[in-house]
Formats: sequence, structure tokens, C-alpha cells
Amino acid sequence: MNNQRPVNIVMIEDDEGHARLIEKNIRRAGISNDLCHFLNGGEAIDYLFNHPEGPARNGPALVLLDLNLPDMSGTDILVRIKGDEHLKRTPVVVLTTTDDRTEIQRCYDLGANVYITKPVNYESFADAIRQLGLFLAVMQVPDVEA
Amino acid sequence: MLRLDDRRFNRLALLALAAGFALVLIAFGLIVASSIGNQRATERVQHTYEVVDELAQLKLAVERTETATRGYLLAPDPRRMLTFRQNASRILPHLAKVTQLTSDNRQQQRTIALLRPKIESQLAIDRDLMARSERGQLGAARQLFIERVKVRQIEQIRILARRMHDAELRLLAERQGTEAKRRSQLQWALAAAGLLLLLLGAAVYGLVRRYTSRLTRARDELHLLNTDLEGQVRLRTADLTRANEEIQRFAYIVSHDLRSPLVNVLGFTAELETADRAIGGLVERAEREAPQLVTAEIRHAREDLPEAIGFIRSSTQKMDRLINAILTLSRQGRRTLNPEPLAMRPLLEDLAGTLEHRLKDAEATLSIDADVPDLHSDRLAIEQIFSNLLENAVKYLQPGRPGLIRVGGRSGGDRVVYEIEDNGRGIDPADHVRVFDLFRRAGKQDQPGEGIGLAHVRALVYRLGGTIELQSALGEGTLFRLHLPQRFSDLGGAD
Repeated sequence: MNNQRPVNIVMIEDDEGHARLIEKNIRRAGISNDLCHFLNGGEAIDYLFNHPEGPARNGPALVLLDLNLPDMSGTDILVRIKGDEHLKRTPVVVLTTTDDRTEIQRCYDLGANVYITKPVNYESFADAIRQLGLFLAVMQVPDVEA
Repeated sequence: MLRLDDRRFNRLALLALAAGFALVLIAFGLIVASSIGNQRATERVQHTYEVVDELAQLKLAVERTETATRGYLLAPDPRRMLTFRQNASRILPHLAKVTQLTSDNRQQQRTIALLRPKIESQLAIDRDLMARSERGQLGAARQLFIERVKVRQIEQIRILARRMHDAELRLLAERQGTEAKRRSQLQWALAAAGLLLLLLGAAVYGLVRRYTSRLTRARDELHLLNTDLEGQVRLRTADLTRANEEIQRFAYIVSHDLRSPLVNVLGFTAELETADRAIGGLVERAEREAPQLVTAEIRHAREDLPEAIGFIRSSTQKMDRLINAILTLSRQGRRTLNPEPLAMRPLLEDLAGTLEHRLKDAEATLSIDADVPDLHSDRLAIEQIFSNLLENAVKYLQPGRPGLIRVGGRSGGDRVVYEIEDNGRGIDPADHVRVFDLFRRAGKQDQPGEGIGLAHVRALVYRLGGTIELQSALGEGTLFRLHLPQRFSDLGGAD
């Protein structure tokens, strides 16, 4: 474990508005880690698994994942991350509009670490993200065994 | 191929039957006629032979009388006298018989007219000769006899009798000839009728066979259709289920995708609000420290901004509630129902317990009949149905009148009826259908709500295989009546 290495935040979110709001609130919580934002699943997977700067090859990361993506389902990405030798310990926070119980359960079954419903009520949304920021601040993210 | 519809077939069959009957009748007539003809022919032959026989007897009698006379003249013997008497007495009766038998034949009558005087004279002479011989004048009698032989009267009698005999036989032959010709004609006619009948029979057989095979085919098809009815129903049910699932999926996707932009609208509205507060602070400071900077426009903007943000926020929140309602309904439709035995009185009492505070606030009483029938159905669905209806009853009481809410029911065979009755403000009859629609409400809009409850209730009741109806008049209270199957079975519903 190397706590000295900065944790990269990888955000996979097709809605730019959502992405902006999430980032804003993370920053408000005082988290200043690098944040990479991807608008679709394909690019995100490419970055996660193949990019030299990506978590598979370079340092610990945390993934913020939306389930409704234009080119694939977020659960597919979740399955691939959790099935990968290098990335399976990378925490994945699922952030989506669905509060369907079966879908939440499914995400946890697939290995999601946290599931957060994006509430339409902005205050609670902002709260949730800020708390996530605090959570990130104390969280021990395992290094990728390269 | 010849098209055979029922009407045409019936007409053809009837025609064929009539023709067949006609042919049989004709054949029968011909046979009767032929048999009558035959009988007549036989009678004629018999008649002819009778005539011939009678003629022969007459001839014989005449001959034997003559012979006896001759013999007696040669040697007077009492036995010859006896023979003479016997035969002489027969001549006239035989002649009368022949005359009578040939009375219809003019030619024969004419011959008889010639024959009769000769026979009578012969007989008279024979009698005279015998009488003379008896008196002993044998010589004179012999002389007379020899003279008569010279006249050859007996020869003439023989010729005439033969002529009659021949005429009679000729007549018979003639008659038999025509009879035979007629009979052969008749046979031909009969054969033709028989052939026609055979042809007709064959045609009718073919027709009936074809018709019957068509009937059989139709019956087989019908049978197939009948036995496959269940399959058809299963197919339709599957179609319906698929359509229903499609709608559910659609509602689910729509509500999700509508929600996503809403997060943005609300989020950035909140950001705007924060920004507005920051700017507001700045404007306030400017007003205090440099009032000349704050124009009327800026002051207006200061007032308008929070108002605009408030409207955006409340509208979006309302939209969120509506989307949530659709989501709830769609989720409800997808939920698997688990029928179980439900004791209704405890279930209703539990529901009443959750409403206790609101009942107290509204000064209303809720009574549950002791004899509410039990049910075998999905617990959650039933709870939601009754809780919605009871909540509505509490919500829409008539102000200034102590609320009375009653739940009752009765069982009737495999259906159960429940009634939820209140003395609340009632529903205008014009709205009786509308209240069950999604997002539609009735009456004064003084209570919070989105117009989802009854739509939800109706959807649930339908899913449980029941129906719901209401009776109500404004200001007089409302009665909801639920008809539910006593035992719910999920027939081809969403899995």
C-alpha cells in the first residue's frame, strides 16, 4: 500500500450537467485529487485498461460510474472492472438516477462498493456528494499491483 | 372445380330425387301395363283354345251321331241307339256354346250362320232315320241315308268347322304377334328407365360424396379450431403480456430519462440560488455604501431572481413527483404477485392503526365490520388498495361534520365484494370516471396530492382480476365498491 500516491478520480457520466454538479460538490468538500471525466463507456474503458496514465498501469483510482451511458450499460463497465486482475480492488461508486431496488442489489452483487441515487432534490444530492468527498478523504484506496 | 354452395346442392339433390321418383313411377306403370297385357293375352289364348275345344267336341258329336246312325241302320243294336242319343243330345248345347264364345267375332258368326242350318238339318235327318228304324221301316231309312250321303252334308259341315277352327288359330297367332311386339317395346322402355335410374343414382352418389367430403373437411377444420382454442387464448394472453411488459418498460425508461435532465435543472437552480445570494450580498453592500450604483433595474432583478428561481424549483419538484408516480406505477405493474391467505379484519385494523393520528385530527371514526370476508390474494397489493382508499376517505371529509368511515364486505361464491363508505365531501358524478385517471383530481384542490392514488388503486385491482366502482354525490359521501376474486391466480401476468 502506498498512501503517498495520489488517487485519481475517474468519472464516467454522459450528462455534462451532472458531471459538473458532481465535480463542483466534490471540490466543495475539499477534495482536490485529479479528476478525469468521460462522456461514454468506450473511452472510459480505454482509459481504465490501456492508457499509460490510467489506473491499470499507473496508481490507485476511484471510479464514479453512471449506469445510463449512450454506448453501453454502466453495469458492463462494472463487470469488467471487477473481473480484471489489476482493477478488481478499485472502489467503484455507482451514481445514477435509479432507485430501483433490484438494480441497486444487482450493482452490489456485481461488486459495486457504494451506490448513490442522484436525488432530484439538489440539497440532498449536494450533501451526498460532499459526504462522498469526506468519505474519499478518509478512504484507503488500494494500490494497483502493477 | 365445380363450386357447390349449399343452396345449389339442395336444389340439385331435390331435382335428382324428383327425377328418380318419376322414373320409378314410369317403370312401375309400364310393368303394370305389361302385366295387364299379359293377362289379357293369356285370356285370349285360353279363349281360343276353348273355342277350338268346343268346336272339336261339336264336330265329334256330329260325327259320332252320324256314325251311330249309320251303324244302327246296318245292324240295329240297342247300344248304338244309346250312343246316338247321348251324342245327339250334345250337339245343340255345343253349338250354342261355340256361338256364345265367338259372339265378338263377326266372321265366325257368319260361318256359324252357315253351319247352324246344316247341323240342325243333319241332326233332324238323323233323328228321323233313327225314328223310322225303330218303327221297323229300316229299308226306307237306309234308302234315305244313302241319298243324304250323296248330298255330302257331313263334308260341308266338316269344312265349315275346319274354317272356324283355322280362323280361330290365325286370330290367336295375330294377337300373339302384336302382344310380343308390345312386350319387346315395353322391355326396351324398362331397360331405358333402368339405365337412366342407374345414371341418376351415380350422379347423385357423386354429388353427395363430394358434398359430404366437403362437410367432413369443414367439420375437421372446425374441430381443429375448437381444440386449438386454448392455444389461441394462450397466444393472445402472451401477446397481451408482452404488450403490457412493453408499456411497463416504456414507462420505466421514460421516467428515468426524464429524471436525468431534472437533476440538472434543480441542481443548477440551486447553484443559481447560491450565486444569487452572493450577488445579493454585494448589491446590499453597494446600496449601503454607494447607492448611486444600484439602478432600478438592478433592484428589480434583485426581487425577480428569487421569485423566478422559486417557480423553477416548485415546477421541477412537481414534475419530479409526477415522474416518481409513473415510476411507482410501472414498478407496481412489474412486481410479482404472491397470493397468500389474508385475514382481512386484522389487516384492516393494522391499516386503521397507521391512520389513527389523522383520524383523531379530523375527529373522524373508522369502523370495520366484524364479518368482512377473508381473501386469498397478494398482501402488499391489497394493503395498498385499502390504505389508499382509507387515506382518501380521511383526507376528503366534509368540514363541520363528524367523519364516519365504514369498511364492510360480503362473500358471494368465488367473488368477494368490499365496500369503503364515508360521509365526506363526495365526488361530482361528472368526475366519477376522471378520478381514476392518472394525475386527475376532483373537487376543491385544498389537499396535497398528485392524483395518483386512485389510478394506482384501479391498476392494482385490475391486476388482481377485480373491478372497482364508486357511488357518490357532492356533499353526501362516497362509497367505493371492490369486486375481487376470492382466490387470485396469476393467469399469464408478468412473471
